[in-house]
Amino acid sequence: MDLWQLLLTLALAGSSDAFSGRETTAAILSSVSQSLLSVNPGLKTNSSKKAKFTKCRSPELETFSCHWTDAVRHGLKSPGPIQLFYTRRNTEEETQEWKECPDYVSAGENSCYFNSSFTSIWIPYCIKLTSNGGTVDENCFSVNQIVQPDPPIALNWTLLNISLTGVHADIQVRWEAPTNADTQKGWMVLEYELQYKEVNETQWKMMDPILSTSVPLYSLRVDKEYEVRVRSKQRKYENYGEFSEVLYVKLPQMSQFTCEEDFYFPWLLIIIFGISGLTVMLFVFLFSKQQRIKMLILPPVPVPKIKGIDPDLLKEGKLEEVNTILAIHDSYKPEFHSDDSWVEFIELDIEDPDEKTEGSDTDRLLSSDHKKSHSNLGVKDGDSGRTSCYKPDMLETDFNANDIHDGTSEVVQPQRLKGEADLLCLDQKNQNNSPYHDACPAIRQPSVIQAEKNKPQPLLTDGAESTHQAAHIQLSNPSSLANIDFYAQVSDITPAGSVVLSPGQKNKAGISQCDMHPEMISLCQANFIMDNAYFCEADAKKCIPVAPHIKVESHTEPSFNQEDIYITTESLTTTAGRPGTAEHVPGSEMPVPDYTSIHIIQSPQGLILNATALSLPDKEFLSSCGYVSTDQLNKIMP
Amino acid sequence: MNIKGSPWKGSLLLLLVSNLLLSHYIHNLSSEMFSEFDKRYTQGRGFISKAINSCHTSSLATPEDKEQAQQISQKDFLSLIVSILRSWNEPLYHLVTEVRGMQEAPEAILSKAIEIEEQTKRLLEGMELILSQVHPETKENEIYSVWSGLPSLQMADEESRLFAYYNLLHCLRRDSHKIDNYLKLLKCRIIHDNNC
Repeated sequence: MDLWQLLLTLALAGSSDAFSGRETTAAILSSVSQSLLSVNPGLKTNSSKKAKFTKCRSPELETFSCHWTDAVRHGLKSPGPIQLFYTRRNTEEETQEWKECPDYVSAGENSCYFNSSFTSIWIPYCIKLTSNGGTVDENCFSVNQIVQPDPPIALNWTLLNISLTGVHADIQVRWEAPTNADTQKGWMVLEYELQYKEVNETQWKMMDPILSTSVPLYSLRVDKEYEVRVRSKQRKYENYGEFSEVLYVKLPQMSQFTCEEDFYFPWLLIIIFGISGLTVMLFVFLFSKQQRIKMLILPPVPVPKIKGIDPDLLKEGKLEEVNTILAIHDSYKPEFHSDDSWVEFIELDIEDPDEKTEGSDTDRLLSSDHKKSHSNLGVKDGDSGRTSCYKPDMLETDFNANDIHDGTSEVVQPQRLKGEADLLCLDQKNQNNSPYHDACPAIRQPSVIQAEKNKPQPLLTDGAESTHQAAHIQLSNPSSLANIDFYAQVSDITPAGSVVLSPGQKNKAGISQCDMHPEMISLCQANFIMDNAYFCEADAKKCIPVAPHIKVESHTEPSFNQEDIYITTESLTTTAGRPGTAEHVPGSEMPVPDYTSIHIIQSPQGLILNATALSLPDKEFLSSCGYVSTDQLNKIMP
Repeated sequence: MNIKGSPWKGSLLLLLVSNLLLSHYIHNLSSEMFSEFDKRYTQGRGFISKAINSCHTSSLATPEDKEQAQQISQKDFLSLIVSILRSWNEPLYHLVTEVRGMQEAPEAILSKAIEIEEQTKRLLEGMELILSQVHPETKENEIYSVWSGLPSLQMADEESRLFAYYNLLHCLRRDSHKIDNYLKLLKCRIIHDNNC
């Protein structure tokens, strides 16, 4: 039965030539194919391969078509007619209706063609293949994603020029955009890729994509033939269209005789000669007796040398000394040059203030043109009593107090601070105070930072922190502090004018008394310049006992002991002589220790300098808050 | 090229061209961003078929093919472009915020999203300027589509969340292509008199 149908349709198709229309033929053919598909519906195909979409393509962003493969069938058997349904989302329609393909014919077999009225760009489409009501394949896309332009047309080439030797030539290749792509209105923007090769080659040479429709090809050999082809794609998309037809390029030959222009640079020869020449030269120099030339070519490698270290030390294995020296060099900046500079600092020469290095504290303190009016220690040998690890704080607060941010002081700072820091920690080393190694690195930080020329602010914090750290160390290990010399103090000033340093003892970090009595701070303020970081202990004591007399008074002495009083080896208390305020604190006539110690006060972050106890406690002498001026000192000293 | 009396001064034409370049750039970035996202997170999940659902800008009556694009007036065209760009302000902002807040935020995608957000703002400003100069009679219309997809970007379920991102990036790519095309058409229409 079915076979008869087939034969009938075939006969009809054959006779339809007489009738009009391709459409008729196409319709018949499609119906034939349909019927072919429908032959023997009962039989199942042996192959399990289903029909599926191969490609959907829009050549010009106005229409598109989709193609699929037929199900593989054996013996002309097929499950059923394949249909394509599509749906697209429209703003008006809420429901998705599947509509059937409007044109199965125009795009060829197994295809569906959507003309411009059915095509909307930027709207998602979904298509599905059905066979016998069952979905075989499905796909979704937007039309702008499936653009594959047609190949460019009208390729041609023109000669640009030929080289003088007549061996090479340049040509310009031109083409046009495919007709259906509307580039004039800007609807499509195409990018082109050109490929060319010699006729007998197999590999195509590719050029970079270009937007224009002509491109030059340089240096083609005149005696060879070339093939050129171009393909296009939509700009910013990946899918190239098909290649255009191949363009054959045959260049005109100028002369019958073509000379072999190729010149191969004799690289190998040059390399060989070069290497041999260099080798010869090298050998000549190596074995030459001429020392001068030898020095030029192969200069002697400098033996490693560390300044200040005697190589013999290393040989003899005196590691301790070497370590000490190395540590010094290690931690201090290069400005700290000579080995014995710390000795220089300690050995003070009062008569010769200029002996001090420019980074010395003394100069700053003593010089009359310095910006700080209050920071007169009065002692010309500036190191006296200042060789303590908290020196940087003092200097910092000094700078801070004066609010100096100009460059000069900052420049001076590093050296001074560093020098002091050097002193301090050196001192520690001298005394073999190991617990303070913890404090010292912290203290060293300020000098390091200063050397980098930061603002004083961070230093201040660092310094303050380090002092707190040191203080905490102190607090935590009171017993171990007994023999610890936190400050080196001037214990004596020899007649010759040199200052003898002795270790001092420190109990714990101080808390500013002034803090506890805010109402007295105003009093204190009256006396001091508040930004003056230097308080003398005497004046600080003034702050303390003024208001609640009894209470404070009872605490004065022991509190001082507990607070942060430096007890020297010679004295029990370090209450300095006070100018005219002897009634406040008992024992005001205590012999003033002959050192200046630094008493840290936490919150104003200032330093109280304990007045030096000199052998001549003189009111006049102590008039300026315990600071001894140069003149006074000179008077005192023989 | 210019009809006499046309408001398209040379500076505006330059601005139009520079906006076109900007939209090329944005379209490029959004295509790359989408494909990177798809490759990394959603490849093979078949989200494309689900994405038939809505971009939030679908409610705007934009030309959907060449004929419609040729028939629309210049004023409406410019207004539409501005509306689309305006509609993307908020989604882009949230996209950047959400991607940035992701654990192990994909750097490539995040940087592109940030760049797209910034350049889209610039493009919007440029187009608003053109519109106000060329068609000053258009009242300041604040027509734009509201985006309400933020909750879906923050969903706990990974599949739904990924799909929300996929949809957003897909819509972004689509709209950036639309704007790019529209601007191309405008440029050829205005500057080259339909003869690019």
